[in-house]
Amino acid sequence: MSAPINFTFNGSTYSGEAGQSIAAALISQDQRVLRTTRFDEAPRSIFCGIGICFDCVVVVNGIANQRSCLVEITEGAVIVSKQ
Amino acid sequence: MILVIGGGPAGLAAAVAIARNGQEVTILDSAPRAGGQYWRHRTRVDGYKSEKSAMYLQEVAQNPLIHFISGANVWSASRVKDGFAINYLVSGNELTVTAQKLILATGAFDRSLPFAGWDLPGVMTPGAAQSLLKGHGVLAGRRVIVAGTGPFLLPVATGIAAAGGTVVGLYEAQSPLRWALSPVALLLNPSKFAELLYYAKQVRKYRIRIQFGKGVTAFDTHSAVVSRLSSDLEVVAGSEEKIECDVVAVGWGFTPDVTLGGILGCAQKVDLDGTVIFNVDQNQRSSQKDIWIAGEATGIGGSDLALVEGEIAGLDCVGIGISPSLAFRKIRKTLFARALQKSYPVGNGWKKWSRNTTKICRCEEVSLQDIADSVTDLGAFDSRTAKLFTRAGMGLCQGRICSRNVSEIVAGLQGCQVSDNERIGYSNRPIATPISLGELSDGKSTK
Repeated sequence: MSAPINFTFNGSTYSGEAGQSIAAALISQDQRVLRTTRFDEAPRSIFCGIGICFDCVVVVNGIANQRSCLVEITEGAVIVSKQ
Repeated sequence: MILVIGGGPAGLAAAVAIARNGQEVTILDSAPRAGGQYWRHRTRVDGYKSEKSAMYLQEVAQNPLIHFISGANVWSASRVKDGFAINYLVSGNELTVTAQKLILATGAFDRSLPFAGWDLPGVMTPGAAQSLLKGHGVLAGRRVIVAGTGPFLLPVATGIAAAGGTVVGLYEAQSPLRWALSPVALLLNPSKFAELLYYAKQVRKYRIRIQFGKGVTAFDTHSAVVSRLSSDLEVVAGSEEKIECDVVAVGWGFTPDVTLGGILGCAQKVDLDGTVIFNVDQNQRSSQKDIWIAGEATGIGGSDLALVEGEIAGLDCVGIGISPSLAFRKIRKTLFARALQKSYPVGNGWKKWSRNTTKICRCEEVSLQDIADSVTDLGAFDSRTAKLFTRAGMGLCQGRICSRNVSEIVAGLQGCQVSDNERIGYSNRPIATPISLGELSDGKSTK
């Protein structure tokens, strides 16, 4: 097993394994809500899990609309729900 | 050069057939690893018939004639002077590859039906639960309900149980007796009995409770409402029961991804199950010269059919004749695919599972009431006009999740059927994956 990868999500530190998606790493640590919606501010999480539905989009190192079910975690990545 | 788009069973089978006949081939795939949505192996290979997928994955990794480009999101394609130009993004960089011949194996994604609470965290497709588990080694939840219809629910439920999760219930909406409608397909595919037996053993081993004729019709974060359903998916009044769970993995078959072939002008048609698929001949040739299409995009049929179609496409692409035995295998698997459609139909009863406030379009947060108002107050007569009034289907997913449902809802309010033209219309979009104007214009494009 390789060393854990550390990253932050909305300011808190999380860790995961190499090759894990952002969504998978967060869900494995009970962080299910990944963002809130534009109009109703309703919580959203992973839905299709394969990059089709865009429900799980987050901001990764300043780049918006990244599908957290596809993008893999990297050491020191700064991930937030909203810019 | 020959380019295969999609690295699932169909795409890999095509590439292997091409390379075994001495030609070079490149596969473009959006995932970090080969295998597509069905063959997901992060650390170890397991599941039914996994040796077959292991063989393909190994050959793709080792054959020097096969080049695999991972993480490539194809967003557009066009015909150029001597072939095709395919534009794709790899971590934000725009790249272009040209090819003389194209094999499209773009696969499918889970079909979802709306119900009260389906947009809450905790509701996901079976494909999402499977990708979390097989792709990333993470259990979707502690107490999981697997529901919907179709044989894919079995590997998802048994996979979760095998990984230590609790499968509270497996609810298959349709009766297994429907298989009696397709005796010939069953007799011609005896290997399917072995597969069924494998899963039956797994279900018994992990003591998963399978119940037929039931489905999840509401969710509220800590529990789901499970209702008895008619074969048309109408809720049987008074049958609702509350089941505690933290995750519902629910799917209603699959929707083929036809976007890319649509952009290239490949002719489409509506399949028996209402999905839009490509018209291909017996050698997987599309209506467009030098484009072959294989796998789910030519009709949902599962990995066995996808492998046969991929192999046929690959062979025909390099000018090798199709043997009668391979052609017969395709017929057998196609019959089985038809039987799947007959056994796991998706009726229209789901329209009553939503509340007026339930979001039908998840991206743009358009409720059932908004859509109904667009029809009754604003005079929307099809999904396209309803979409223009409400923005349903205009969000980031480009209507992939909701457009079919919006269309069925509007048709229901109008008291008519969705036309084939409307189905083909809502299944196509001008770009295959969202791309920002910045990415388009930042000049990073390379040849």
